[in-house]
Amino acid sequence: MAKRSGGRLLFRCILAAVVLLPGSLSWAQREVTEREVMVTILQLKCVMCHGKRKQDGDLDVRTRAALLKGGASGPAIMPGNPEQSLLIQRIVSEEMHPNLKLLEDYLTRPVTSSELEILRQWIAAGAPAGDELVEEPSGADPMVTSEDRDFWSFVPPERPPSPKVPDHLLPLVRTPIDAFVLEKLEAEGISYSPEADRLTLMRRAYLDLLGLPPTPEEVQEYLKDSSPLAYDRLIDRLLASPHYGERWGKYWLDAAGYADTEGHSDDNPPRPQAYRYRDYVIRSLNADKPYDEFLLEQIAGDELFDYKSVQELTPEQREYLVATGFLRTAPDGTSVHAAQEIFGERFSVIIDQVKILSSAVLGLTMDCARCHDHKYDPLPLRDYYRFSAILRTAYDPYDWLDPTIHGRGGVDDPFKQVLRSLPHGDEELRREVEAYNDPIQEEIEQLERALEETAQPLRKKLFEQKLGTLPEKVRDDVRQALETPEEKRSDVQIAQVEKFDGSLKVEQQELEEEFEGFKEQTEKTNQAILEAKERLRPVPRIRALFDMAGETTPTHMLLGGDFLNPGPRVAPGAPSALSEGLVPYQVIKPPWDSSGRRLALARWLIQSNHPLTGRVMVNRIWQNHFGTGLVATPGNFGETGMRPSHPELLDWLATEFVRQGWSQKVMHRLIMTSTVYRQSSRVDSLRHEADPENILLSRFPLRRMDAETIRDSILHVAGRLVTTQFGPADEMEVKPSGEVVSKGTPAGCRRSVYTLQPRPKWSGTKSPPTLLETFDVLPLRPNCLKRPHSTVSSQALQLMNSHLVRENSRYFASRVLAATGVDPEKQIERVYLVALSRWPSKEEKKVSGETLRDFNRYWLEHLEQEAPTASTADVSNSNRAQQHALATFCHVILNSPEFTYVD
Amino acid sequence: MFPKGHRDWQPHETSKPVLDRRDFFSRVGDGLYGAALASLVGSDLFAAPSARTASDLRPKLQHFQPKARAVIQLFMSGGPSQMDMFDPKPALEKYSGQLPGRDLTNDVQSLTQAGGLMPSPFKFAKHGESGIELCELLPHLAKHVDDIALIRSMYTTAFNHSPALYIMHGGRLFPERPTLGAWVLYGLGSENQNLPAYVVLDDPKGLPVNGIENWQSGWLPPVFQGTRLRSEGPPLLNLRASEEHQYPSRVRELHQSLLRRLAAAHRDERPGQPDLDARIASYELAARMQISATDALDLSQETKATREMYALNDSNDTASYGRRCLMARRLVERGVRFVQIYIDSQIWDHHAGLEPGLRECCLRTDKPVGALLADLKQRGLLESTLVIWGGEFGRMPLAQDTTGRDHGPRGFSLWMAGGGVKGGTVYGATDELGYKAVENRVSVQDFHATILHLLGLNHEDLVYNHHGFDERLTSVLPARVVHEILI
Repeated sequence: MAKRSGGRLLFRCILAAVVLLPGSLSWAQREVTEREVMVTILQLKCVMCHGKRKQDGDLDVRTRAALLKGGASGPAIMPGNPEQSLLIQRIVSEEMHPNLKLLEDYLTRPVTSSELEILRQWIAAGAPAGDELVEEPSGADPMVTSEDRDFWSFVPPERPPSPKVPDHLLPLVRTPIDAFVLEKLEAEGISYSPEADRLTLMRRAYLDLLGLPPTPEEVQEYLKDSSPLAYDRLIDRLLASPHYGERWGKYWLDAAGYADTEGHSDDNPPRPQAYRYRDYVIRSLNADKPYDEFLLEQIAGDELFDYKSVQELTPEQREYLVATGFLRTAPDGTSVHAAQEIFGERFSVIIDQVKILSSAVLGLTMDCARCHDHKYDPLPLRDYYRFSAILRTAYDPYDWLDPTIHGRGGVDDPFKQVLRSLPHGDEELRREVEAYNDPIQEEIEQLERALEETAQPLRKKLFEQKLGTLPEKVRDDVRQALETPEEKRSDVQIAQVEKFDGSLKVEQQELEEEFEGFKEQTEKTNQAILEAKERLRPVPRIRALFDMAGETTPTHMLLGGDFLNPGPRVAPGAPSALSEGLVPYQVIKPPWDSSGRRLALARWLIQSNHPLTGRVMVNRIWQNHFGTGLVATPGNFGETGMRPSHPELLDWLATEFVRQGWSQKVMHRLIMTSTVYRQSSRVDSLRHEADPENILLSRFPLRRMDAETIRDSILHVAGRLVTTQFGPADEMEVKPSGEVVSKGTPAGCRRSVYTLQPRPKWSGTKSPPTLLETFDVLPLRPNCLKRPHSTVSSQALQLMNSHLVRENSRYFASRVLAATGVDPEKQIERVYLVALSRWPSKEEKKVSGETLRDFNRYWLEHLEQEAPTASTADVSNSNRAQQHALATFCHVILNSPEFTYVD
Repeated sequence: MFPKGHRDWQPHETSKPVLDRRDFFSRVGDGLYGAALASLVGSDLFAAPSARTASDLRPKLQHFQPKARAVIQLFMSGGPSQMDMFDPKPALEKYSGQLPGRDLTNDVQSLTQAGGLMPSPFKFAKHGESGIELCELLPHLAKHVDDIALIRSMYTTAFNHSPALYIMHGGRLFPERPTLGAWVLYGLGSENQNLPAYVVLDDPKGLPVNGIENWQSGWLPPVFQGTRLRSEGPPLLNLRASEEHQYPSRVRELHQSLLRRLAAAHRDERPGQPDLDARIASYELAARMQISATDALDLSQETKATREMYALNDSNDTASYGRRCLMARRLVERGVRFVQIYIDSQIWDHHAGLEPGLRECCLRTDKPVGALLADLKQRGLLESTLVIWGGEFGRMPLAQDTTGRDHGPRGFSLWMAGGGVKGGTVYGATDELGYKAVENRVSVQDFHATILHLLGLNHEDLVYNHHGFDERLTSVLPARVVHEILI
């Protein structure tokens, strides 16, 4: 869509033109409110120049008082007299038409004639005030009754006593958890299943805590430890592994809606600085940062200190700012969307962020109360907007900050558009980025040079051809004139250059037309340059959420969720349904310029007796160990959510969580050392009948690995997992087959948590690895508390035929070969041990041995028929057949259900 | 959770409530997703068969006798210009070059490029017995006007491709919603064993805006999402291994048999785990798909005349579209429920160069579309196959960038044919300029309700419980079946 130079003129014409559309608007006289004027007209259309940051003519139009006070030319409105009001005059005379920059860069639109009429009516009626604040009633609240507040999840958990267990069952009770679960099993006349065997349990623990199977060495080491504490020590070792944070961090990142791209548009702009938050999460989990601190930092890290007056950030302070990336995860299309949608886009960022916060931390479906009072839970519309107002001082739809790295208006932006990110301020990192960028810069220059080197002789050739068309006499003179440096040319030469330069000059297009392949080469090179530029790392900034200080636009209830239909004003607050026993949400303004709203939220949330904070988190921890939470709907602890299967256990865990200093690792240890967790996954008919869906936990649930675990485990067993941690997300690559894989290095690929996590829309290299997508990684909208689980044929095709799995089967085989040599029996043992963490049975050895032999024979037959190629000539067919046979066998094992299903 | 209100016509034979496991594996499924039904499958091991689950793809009973059994949607992304193809506006000649006022500027995206009112560069003529007027670029469609119902009064509420596509496919502006095809599948289930029931034939040259979201299942179970079958190369990702990873056939057979053996042994050691049965079934289905998907898309089985009719020997772009139209017919013949054909990104988006652009688009699509209608008719499939042609919105009567038109959501045209649609019908009208739908306005929700109706589904009864709320394709918005265009 090329812009024409005549555009500006045309635009003037439009302004001056008379409306000619048939069927002009008409409307009945009605009462216009201050609120309507402010929220639906002035704040939408005028605040870019007459708002908080910029006040042209000293005029601020955001409140009635400010309009009456007016600007440099006097009051903006004269109540009762619209035509004498400067506001109306300036709009009518089109002096207040947004200029081109506003129209095109900031998508501001002029006041329409119907809006102008509304302004006139309001002023004519005396510009009546009317923007009342709705407060939470101090007495009885008709919207939220005390009965509502008695709902199970709104009442603070009380620590229940452990159920009494008869003596003969005491050996089954390793932790208090076991007593609670056992009580329900006993009531159904069943008990725990027997303990899983040692290696099964070990594999389960590895895959659960690290997302990777144990290595053969780790298996052997574990078996050597015959102490009764061997398993407990194993759990401690795993919890200390750096891989723990990568595995469990991912659960939190999903709940937070973490992504490496903005989403919301097809170009899906990257978030090149977002990874710092991902790394913060992984580090925090590895350090077992108490959950209350973890939440506090993520919700209000910027309000914990006066970051604006700090000269140099300490690492800890920087961490606080990075942590607020938690509230920057919502898809943000405000940098790319069109005028008609821009406010909708801004509100949608806030809507999604509220959705994430309320579902991940509170386990509430708050979003339902965005358009109307919640139909099932005591969450009135009012409370939704009170909650949303907590974010208003950081996310103000009428005073928006640019989510991109560079800003929309460029460096000389007259509107002082501020970026929604903060300087990182780490010199070392800056140097690191430079060091990273230098070779890429070099690469770009090299590409440019290479292209020029190709072009030069071609240009010369074409030049000579053109020169050849000149009369022979002048040819040499002209050539000489052109070759002479400009300042040294004689007058004759200057004249010659003037005369011939135009016709002799060789344009890029001529080269492309004349020389076959040159156009392709140019395009290819330019594409490569573009791609290289995309790889350049930006100047380090922190993708943070921060309080914008100063006076914030008021928050209104939006009736029907429509920002053009404002209801009464609200003050920030927590849902009134959650009040029993709690210190109420209370804003205490910090001594520096920050509103304190989110700090108040964080403090309110991390009260030790909060009814939801602890319950919701321990429930998800439980869910991620067992596949299903004690509350099966992790994001809905309300009326339409599931009731807890073991309410006392949930409350015991929630209180224990707080008692243990909100330590997640203590909870893992507690759960994983319990009898419940250590059960076998085999089910007998008795237990199947009494507990068909395993809600009572009469056995350990057999589960398929999740997508990341499948991918990471395949890489791990193939010896192709690169364990480098942290840093920018790994880029994707699209194979000719259409399969998307991580680009990787010659040594392999990193864990899935470090691959690009794109928001929808997924396409090309902004897609997750195909394997992850096939195994139920869904687009985050906006977050995910529990993955769906499907068993579909595309998964079979993926494991059977994909490049990723077949290639890694080969790597797996060569690794086995290197470890064991050519003895098939040893090979089979090794394959089982590496992939399945156990030794094959006698029968399995026999069948595998026969199959391997047959594979070998068939491959040999096949290779004998093939003509040798240069790359295969020096390897004998029998060697190649052996390698292929083993790789095929490894491929079968990777496809076997035992590999992907965890007992 | 299920379509309610099984009303007063006789269930067809496939709707018996409980299938045994063998029966289930032999008949249920769309090939790709058919195995996703763990709770149903395993239940015969210990307990009584559990209730039908939401992820069930067995053929289901309609709310009433359907007219259409299958849908082919010819989706024209970008916003085809109504006043240049379907909705002649002589008044544009009269006002040519005049400029709009300030209110219209709120509807214009790029004000710097906006110009005056622009008449259509194309001539219109009446066709068929019905005398429907079409522009000169649609000679092939012109032969079938008496089979189509043309709606000239469509409108939508979004100005840009992405949100307008969400509305057109999912009923609302929100990106997470299930799409029309997914709802249809949820309501009707699948009628074939080895092919996906909702097939998307996208253009190898590029996906439309919103990409794969256009056929997502949203918060409906993933079994209902559209499956892309590629019209060039292997139809499905990983249907075969790449060249470098091919196995000799005896190796492949042995590989399969060892895997079968391991999987069976694994399952037998673990009774009462339905997911393991589902997994085994998914591998079997994957193997069958390799044959059936390839066969369905193999156009070499068609006669020379048919290939010619679908423009397979024409220029590349036309042939490419023709191939997909022909594939659509083959898929519908095999019981595929919903086929969507997309076209190269958004080639109908003529912000500039409308005259050559539209010419090119019509050249690419008109002949294949005409062939599809003719072919369905001659095979007796048109009666039971609903064909839909249209995009996400229309265009403005103003010039943009002097030779194009900007997006126009307030009034646009689309057409439907076959499957219970009254041919030779024109419904609704826009204003004098073609800017806004003014007469018998049809919303996207009305359009959706009408499609569901033709398939025997009542849009108010086709509900899915999402977060405690009975959601439907038409959402909470009012919607009315456009009976005036139905037989």
